[in-house]
Amino acid sequence: MTQTISGVSATPLSGLGIVRWYRPGEQPDPETVTADTPDVETQRFKNAQETAREELETERDRTKARVGDEEAAVFDAHLQFLTDPQLTDPIQTAITDGDAAELAVESAFGDAIAQFEGMEGLMAERADDLRDIRDRLLRILSGGERTDLTALPEGTVLFAERLTPSDTAQLDPEVVAGFATVTGGRTSHVSIFARSLGIPAIVGAGEELLAVDEGAEVAIDADEGAVVANPDTAVRERVTAGREVTIRKERVKTADDVDIEVAANIGTAAELDGAVAQGADGIGLFRTEFLFLDRDSPPDEDEQFETYLEALECFPEGRVVVRTLDIGGDKPIPYLDLPEEENPFLGNRGIRRSLGADAELFETQLRALLRAGGQSSGTLSVMFPLVATVEELTAALERVEAVAADLESAGIEYAIPELGVMIETPAAVLSADAFAEHVDFFSIGTNDLAQYVMAADRENEAVASLHDPQQPAVLRAIKRSVEAAHTNDAWIGMCGEMAGDPDLTELLVGLGLDELSMSAVTVPAVKAEITTIESTDAAAMGDRALTATTKSAVTELQKQ
Amino acid sequence: MIERTVTVVPEDGLHARPASKVVEAANAYESTVTVGPADGDSVNAASMLAVTGLGVGPGDDVVVTADGPDEADALDELESILTTPEG
Repeated sequence: MTQTISGVSATPLSGLGIVRWYRPGEQPDPETVTADTPDVETQRFKNAQETAREELETERDRTKARVGDEEAAVFDAHLQFLTDPQLTDPIQTAITDGDAAELAVESAFGDAIAQFEGMEGLMAERADDLRDIRDRLLRILSGGERTDLTALPEGTVLFAERLTPSDTAQLDPEVVAGFATVTGGRTSHVSIFARSLGIPAIVGAGEELLAVDEGAEVAIDADEGAVVANPDTAVRERVTAGREVTIRKERVKTADDVDIEVAANIGTAAELDGAVAQGADGIGLFRTEFLFLDRDSPPDEDEQFETYLEALECFPEGRVVVRTLDIGGDKPIPYLDLPEEENPFLGNRGIRRSLGADAELFETQLRALLRAGGQSSGTLSVMFPLVATVEELTAALERVEAVAADLESAGIEYAIPELGVMIETPAAVLSADAFAEHVDFFSIGTNDLAQYVMAADRENEAVASLHDPQQPAVLRAIKRSVEAAHTNDAWIGMCGEMAGDPDLTELLVGLGLDELSMSAVTVPAVKAEITTIESTDAAAMGDRALTATTKSAVTELQKQ
Repeated sequence: MIERTVTVVPEDGLHARPASKVVEAANAYESTVTVGPADGDSVNAASMLAVTGLGVGPGDDVVVTADGPDEADALDELESILTTPEG
């Protein structure tokens, strides 16, 4: 019998396949394991430690190759903890006293986890690392087979309670037909990984998913945002039909010859290949904070230079828009002093930190960027996040001038990039005319703009209908920014999730956006949509949307 | 056994890279090396968990001890790590 379970589409892709459940971390209770002699138990522990080391090294190397160095660093930390005397000494003592290896591991890790859980912010993260290592050791000790996610049978739709980013990074998009998880949301890490890899995925499907049996045929229906078990012919045809997408490597115009740039959003250099393969004209948002996460010290100037240059070299005739470091109290970075804030999204973050506590990091990043810009044929554009005042913007621009002067006097090759500002705050919208006099371009971050305009947390599902870029207030903010840019001969793009929804492309073209930047996987669909649009019709639709007073009136326009 | 009191210089205190270096150094010597706040309990300097768990920041005084055949060298290297700004 057909059963439809609603969730959230993480990607615009649909798929059809066979359910395979992934249930990591299910082991017998360590209390119930009978101990052998201490010598035997010691050897069992040592063997498990060795197996864990081999697994971790393999996973580190694979993550490095498929996702990125930053993501891989977590495995190095795990390797260090695996042999940490603070864990291995009590384990050895407990085994000598007659405990089974399982119980010794469980209690030694339990003590360490409790110690770190009591600590603040950064240290509490350690507790999660320790839980991962403990579960790995317990699984190995119980003889549990690890499900090798890199070697799933073709046509698998992977079902899981949750998937970690490193689980997701193992999935091969050529083989896996999709995945579905009980937890997660559109902006969670698992969804971002799914989009970079181009895998059909429904997240946040809820407990109902647990009722679907291993081996059932299942459709991942991106259009409906649902998992369909035992789908009927209509659903099967629909989810398999959409798979043939034409990739357009060339730039596209509307049917009446208006150029629209279509670019990809990336967080790491590993995503560049996907952006090129999907036919992106360039990079519209390079979120550089990912270069700084999951490591012990910030990337130095040369490392950053290489990364930015690599991005530019992928698009020799295109544009790469790099957003300078956007971090705050919500993203733990061990080597930065990020105090816990009551309200990190309204706190000391983005350009505020770059002009204050992180001034040195900012300078290093600017040096790397200016050097990379000096060595490439493509266009480098640099934009600043969370700007709210003209003073912040001019201070940031002065830093760029100062860095350029330093490079000049040191005789180092450089070029001043196109400079721009993110439109994310209501303040930026209201002062957009003043900002536009100082910069070459704007890029609207609709996720944050909707959050701040509507005062609705993007992570809070209870207010999801408010946090919607189709709210009239958000559309008016977009239009106001577009007018300010164009009056001052600046171009304006959009790099939020809204830009990647083909159903909204006509509206966005109608509002006057020059560039749309999105997850690479949605580039072909948006390019295809643009070629069918008449810009005059789009402008009329934009005008009607701006006179609409309710979100439902706006969504009604899409259907006409 | 020998001991020395050192004021921690690296900006990160005993976290991140400086902590890693302390742990690596402590593991490289045959001597048993401990580190701890001047007014508290010392921990095994060969343990990343123990060292980062101390919560030592820049400017804090720590007592370093070493006990074993190469204790003098071990103590010198630890002091050098703890007093070098870049850790």
